[in-house]
Amino acid sequence: MGAHLPLTLAAPILAASRLGTLLANSQVQFALRVLALLAPAFVGLFLMLPRGGRRGSVLARALGGALITGSLALLVTVPLPALGAAVAGSQATILWSLPDTLTCYTFHALALVSVASAVLMITSRNPVYSALWFALVLLGNSGLYLLQRAEFLAAATIIVYAGAIVVTFLFVIMLAQPNGAAAYDRQSREALMVSLTGLLLGGVLLGAIHQVMVGEGRGAVAGKVARPSAVVVANVADTQSATVRVTPETHVRGLGKTLFLDHVVGVEITGVLLLAAVVGAMMIAGHRIEESHVRK
Amino acid sequence: MSGSDELLNNYLVVGALLFTLGAVGFLTRRNLIVMFLCAELMLQGVSLTLVGFSGYHGTWGGQVMSIFSLSLAAAEAGIALALFVVLFRRGHSLDVSIWQDLREEDQPPVEDDHSTDVTVPEPVWPHLAPAGHLPDHTPPAGRYPQTPVGVNAEGAGAHG
Repeated sequence: MGAHLPLTLAAPILAASRLGTLLANSQVQFALRVLALLAPAFVGLFLMLPRGGRRGSVLARALGGALITGSLALLVTVPLPALGAAVAGSQATILWSLPDTLTCYTFHALALVSVASAVLMITSRNPVYSALWFALVLLGNSGLYLLQRAEFLAAATIIVYAGAIVVTFLFVIMLAQPNGAAAYDRQSREALMVSLTGLLLGGVLLGAIHQVMVGEGRGAVAGKVARPSAVVVANVADTQSATVRVTPETHVRGLGKTLFLDHVVGVEITGVLLLAAVVGAMMIAGHRIEESHVRK
Repeated sequence: MSGSDELLNNYLVVGALLFTLGAVGFLTRRNLIVMFLCAELMLQGVSLTLVGFSGYHGTWGGQVMSIFSLSLAAAEAGIALALFVVLFRRGHSLDVSIWQDLREEDQPPVEDDHSTDVTVPEPVWPHLAPAGHLPDHTPPAGRYPQTPVGVNAEGAGAHG
């Protein structure tokens, strides 16, 4: 035991020096910068999550909303150098500004709608409001799809998701919770740990995206990812020439061609899956439960 | 516009944010339906990423994948909501905690903090103020017979 004593005394000094070298590491600095940009958002999320109580959390919710807004503003404004600054000009904000002004404003407005509705969806205390905020997320996402000229997907998202799935959710909520609110909706489990987890997950994702997009220079993704096959490219246009745009006529036609020529087996399997899901849902929900199996 | 690095970067970032928010909500909320909505939110984040790549490369692959994930989400929602209806019939609650005896044997039970429990007040339904007299519902005599024609005492007795 005595031999271990000097080691115990030296441990804090060793740890401090190790911390110093750790902080001098450029990778750690990069990670800390990304986390610092995101930290206010997840503190705000922690404040906004329901944690019991009925009235006192209005201030916390407002503060949390302000923190999340501030963090989103940081993502747009604060430039962040990427690792390995050998590439010239390798410093950019996390969310870039787009060259086309109208596209830039449209994108940021739609993204704000999506993210803000998502925050309100996971923090609202009434599942009906959650479902309605989710419908707003879907509308924002549909706008983002339209911005990428995915018209069919935008329409399908609104029709299938917002029109069918969210409405089914609302039906089940009204079936199961006619009073609207319940005690378990006003509490969340392990809010602090989950917020930390979210901070880490978001930091890893955003840091990796930033590093690939900024640190390795423009066009890095195009250089790395294998080019699509010639058949697919012939259906569309030359991918590299930004001036060529897919016109609306060729759009849905091209998507249909791809879907029913290249992926026809997938379409068939999806159809079988949907049929199985319908039959399964009827089997599950239509089954009457014996009185002895009912709890409580 | 097609194939611009800026747009791809922004789509990836927004997709990552939506995915993270969905994961946080899935881990922390206790209502089965809200948890499932959060899973759908994660799917939306991935779908946004796929569409971003599709626009970047100018190909249809990402959109096709998104369409598949859309139909998978529809099938999943049908099955899951049917399960929720059955679970609600058995447990009379949408709380996930009441199903925690399905966990592994060596896992400790989750103790929910009941110190901050609030009693949810009963909803206050609107009630209509009485306006005027209750109208007389008895049918006017002579126009409609009080006893149906053809049914008389002996007929009822014969059937009884």
